[in-house]
Amino acid sequence: MRVEFLGIPRERAGVADLELEAETLGQLFATLAARFPSLEDVIATDRLRASFVANINGDRFVSDPRTTLHDDDCVLILSADAGG
Amino acid sequence: MAPAPPGYHGCYLRIDVSDGRVERVPLPETVLRQFLGGSGLGAWLLLEEEGADRDALDPAAPLAFVFSPLVGSPLTTSAKFAVVSKSPLTDRFNDSLAGSGFAVAGKRCGCDAIVIVGRATSLSTLVIDDDRIRIDAADDLRGATCRAAEATLKARLGPGYQVASIGPAGEHAVRYATISHDGRHAGRGGSGAVLGSKNLKAIAVRGTMRCEWAQPGALTEYSKALSKRSFGPATAKYRELGTAANLLTFNRLGVLPTRNFQSGTFEAAVDISPGAISETYSRTRASCVACTIGCEHIYARENEQGVRLEYESLFALGPLCGVSDPDIVLRAAGLCDDLGVDTISTGGTIAFAMECVERGWLNAPWLQFGSGDAMMRAIEMIGRREGLGDLLAEGSRRAAHTIGHHSIAFAPQVKGLEIPGYEPRALQTMALGFAVGARGADHNRSGAYEVDFSDKVDRKHVTLDAVHHAIDTEDKAALMDSLILCKFLRGVFEDFYAEAADMLRLVTGWDATADELRDTARRIVHAKRQFNLLAGWTPDEDTLPDRFLETPLSGDPEATLSREQLGSLVTEYHRQRGW
Ligand code: SF4
Repeated sequence: MRVEFLGIPRERAGVADLELEAETLGQLFATLAARFPSLEDVIATDRLRASFVANINGDRFVSDPRTTLHDDDCVLILSADAGG
Repeated sequence: MAPAPPGYHGCYLRIDVSDGRVERVPLPETVLRQFLGGSGLGAWLLLEEEGADRDALDPAAPLAFVFSPLVGSPLTTSAKFAVVSKSPLTDRFNDSLAGSGFAVAGKRCGCDAIVIVGRATSLSTLVIDDDRIRIDAADDLRGATCRAAEATLKARLGPGYQVASIGPAGEHAVRYATISHDGRHAGRGGSGAVLGSKNLKAIAVRGTMRCEWAQPGALTEYSKALSKRSFGPATAKYRELGTAANLLTFNRLGVLPTRNFQSGTFEAAVDISPGAISETYSRTRASCVACTIGCEHIYARENEQGVRLEYESLFALGPLCGVSDPDIVLRAAGLCDDLGVDTISTGGTIAFAMECVERGWLNAPWLQFGSGDAMMRAIEMIGRREGLGDLLAEGSRRAAHTIGHHSIAFAPQVKGLEIPGYEPRALQTMALGFAVGARGADHNRSGAYEVDFSDKVDRKHVTLDAVHHAIDTEDKAALMDSLILCKFLRGVFEDFYAEAADMLRLVTGWDATADELRDTARRIVHAKRQFNLLAGWTPDEDTLPDRFLETPLSGDPEATLSREQLGSLVTEYHRQRGW
């Protein structure tokens, strides 16, 4: 599946997007945390820290690490305070 | 006068600029505890002064600059003031907040608020120097930009003064004119036109009267710890990127209002993103006084005046008008700041006019979506009410009534206030927040978008479960705007009400609790509504324009909000509020 970083997560990851394999949201976060130590501010083990949120395919916001992911999903990771 | 509680002076200055009469009116402690300061105390003052009954631009209508118990304390982001009046744009309650040094200097004049009524005989500056108050002629400042007026007055008056001023737009009663201080604006709802209606170009304040704090040592310790927390991830977006970073996120989520809300995505968003702008402009950061976050990102070319760029200005002067040239967007934001007009209402009204031109209902063929030059020309005309600008200076609702053809269906406003950069069909909790807002469509008085950007609701199919979340964000905003603390700090609090009670205890000595402050927040929301009821509010006003209720968002058929669906959300909102 595809992962897209927006805003601060993109700054921390240093890339805009990448392809990964994961069956659940928790697995995805754990893989990202291992691959990008610079995401420490953003990811706490298998979940996002309070200031960040994840969204699947631009539609659904999700937080439960058990959320099932599909190969053709696109997971967006962004700041929770998306307002201004 | 009974002694004031710590954090307060226990009175407000009431100044009639028609004859220079000044009163120091006591503020009972019970009122201060019930309404705190900022928006809350402002609402109480307007009700006391019977401001709902008068036309907003009637000289007798009150205009209040309101401080708060936290102003002047070491608490980060607390240097803010509220400007409160009836809005000439909405004819309803209006509270606009701004930072920075004006709040501290104004409170040091020994008052918790300054209420201005009357009309000076010629264009003037109200000068408050501790307890010495005078009205100086300001004819030489006629037509001056906000920035120039402030600089001239600071040089003229001498050290220690802080100045809030209007630009040409306020002088010309543009219904969404701002009051500017130090490059920031009390921006929404037209408070600049209200100041202009009093023949005041500016207010200058300087003072030496400090408040005491109930527990100064503990307050300092708490403030240090809060400042430390403000450097964490909860504020990283504001510090490192600024609110303009929202642009690409909103575009990706399909909620970026484009071409007068005809689409939720803008094909050229990348071209005007902060990253793209940074390639040709240098970026520096600035902050209000007493702020450890520093959210302001200022873009400048060598030897040119820098421009503060916020998401709302970027969206309104870019995608909303179909403009994709970053130079134009920055120049337009700078021009709005100089003229003293609200960028959201300016962009919204011009985008509406562009659509009317496209449909052949407005004879201004030069005003086309995507034409940056046309947008700049329109802004200039609005700021001085020249030609077509005279109509557009009225805002999109009044302009629609003049243009006819039922163009009100797509005038992008609620209660007359132009809608900020959040597409309501795809952010339906926000749609409710916009519909019921006391001052009209506004993202600062309802943070309901936060609910949409979470797993609490399905943002395109929101149900009645969303209503209490929307109420929570509105209550929280009311409390933050009354304490006053900057909303960009909100993410650092785990339990905002409990911490707000801690802060208030340290400042005032009151045995405030989280539950008391929840009640206070609700009381303040009710006071705003009470004002609106007296001003003629009817339930029909709590809605969105027909476009949002009759047409799905282009390219996103799921983003559909029916009249019945919004109606049931609003009804449930009123029920839960007990209205
Ligand atoms: S975060 Fe920004 S708006 Fe808020 S107080 Fe600081 S500089 Fe001012």
